[in-house]
Amino acid sequence: MGTTQTYDERELVAALRRKDEQAFSYLYDHYAGALYNVVKQVVVDTDVSSDVLQEIFVNIWRKIEQYDESKGRLFTWMLNIARNAAIDKTRSKGFQQSSRVLPLLDGETVYTSERPGMDDYGLKKVLGKLKDEQRLLIDLSYFQGYTHEQIAKALDIPLGTVKTRIRSALTQLRSLLQ
Amino acid sequence: MNVKEYINSGIIESYVLGMATEAERQEFEQICASHPEVAEARDSFERSLETALMQEAPAPPAFVKEKLLQQIAPPVVEDDGVAGMTEAPVRRLNPWKWVAAASLLLLAGAAYWAYSTNEKYQDLAARQATMEKQLQQSTAALQLLQQDADILRHPMKTVALKGTEMAPQAQTTVFWDTTGTKDVYMLINNLPQPTSDQQYQLWALLDGKPIDLGVFDFDVKEKRLLVKMKNVQKAQAFAITLERRGRPNPEVPEGKAYVVGKL
Repeated sequence: MGTTQTYDERELVAALRRKDEQAFSYLYDHYAGALYNVVKQVVVDTDVSSDVLQEIFVNIWRKIEQYDESKGRLFTWMLNIARNAAIDKTRSKGFQQSSRVLPLLDGETVYTSERPGMDDYGLKKVLGKLKDEQRLLIDLSYFQGYTHEQIAKALDIPLGTVKTRIRSALTQLRSLLQ
Repeated sequence: MNVKEYINSGIIESYVLGMATEAERQEFEQICASHPEVAEARDSFERSLETALMQEAPAPPAFVKEKLLQQIAPPVVEDDGVAGMTEAPVRRLNPWKWVAAASLLLLAGAAYWAYSTNEKYQDLAARQATMEKQLQQSTAALQLLQQDADILRHPMKTVALKGTEMAPQAQTTVFWDTTGTKDVYMLINNLPQPTSDQQYQLWALLDGKPIDLGVFDFDVKEKRLLVKMKNVQKAQAFAITLERRGRPNPEVPEGKAYVVGKL
């Protein structure tokens, strides 16, 4: 330890595939914060988020062979693993009993995309610039992983409209990021 | 396809964020491969997303990394602390010891099962290898017989060679392709076993003169039903003599005829 090696993405992936623990340590130091942030936006609870983060990095370590450079950047691949792990956690039995009840499927509950205790950074900061309606759709579909059909039913909007609005929210997101 | 419209349709964001359907994903990957500008737009969105998410991200609790590094490290072999196991046995065992004992029994059972299964497997593997070898031998023998059967299907002249006073019980059949190749085949029905310094020899007889059609060992009939000999253009009779092995002038018969057959 002690030596701080830096890697470009290709070197990093190659080192991870060799099961190089130092590279893994670097990967964690570099990306854990960003992924933790995404997990927290889905899961909220800090303890649960830590567990999920650990799962995510174990998965990255084990599944690095499956990462395909031609389909996108390493971060994108990890981000998807993180999102899926976080959403899976919210769908698990223990979680739903202990944590917030998903308001969407309660029917009557008025949904607000505000989450308690969240500071504005990262994606949240960008999302804050979207219109309420767009933010809601991104939150439901991206952070909570609902299908378009489920959203259409819960918000009582035609499916086609949900699709169009989500697509436009996403293009909006891209221009905000640039 | 209008590439610009496609790029601005929201598909890039859906794909990158993992919100696209399986069909959309497949289509997008194909289009990326064939349209570099789409792949570039994807990359550019990925980079800006990455930049945004990496900004001011709060660090996760430090213990996560520690636990993680322990989890991915190769397992360390622990020494089995059996100290303290030698105490007097007349004690109430706590439930965990029962569990441990049961586990040991289970383990022993599993080990025995694995052992006996392995034994059986080895046994079966050996038998299978033997059978495979036998099958190969049978197949080879069958192939030879089939070849012989194919030869016999040709219309050929058949000459029965009968035993002489040397061996009245002896008999050999000669098949001679008189129309085509003039090939000569021999089926040994019965010939007395010679001594090891002797060899049989087949002859064709034409106008009282012998023509050498080749020597053969007695055990040739073990190997092949039909024995191919030298071919001959013309013959009036066939005969087999018993000769000295390795005699100087094999074109001339020295020994006595054992079987003879006229056409």
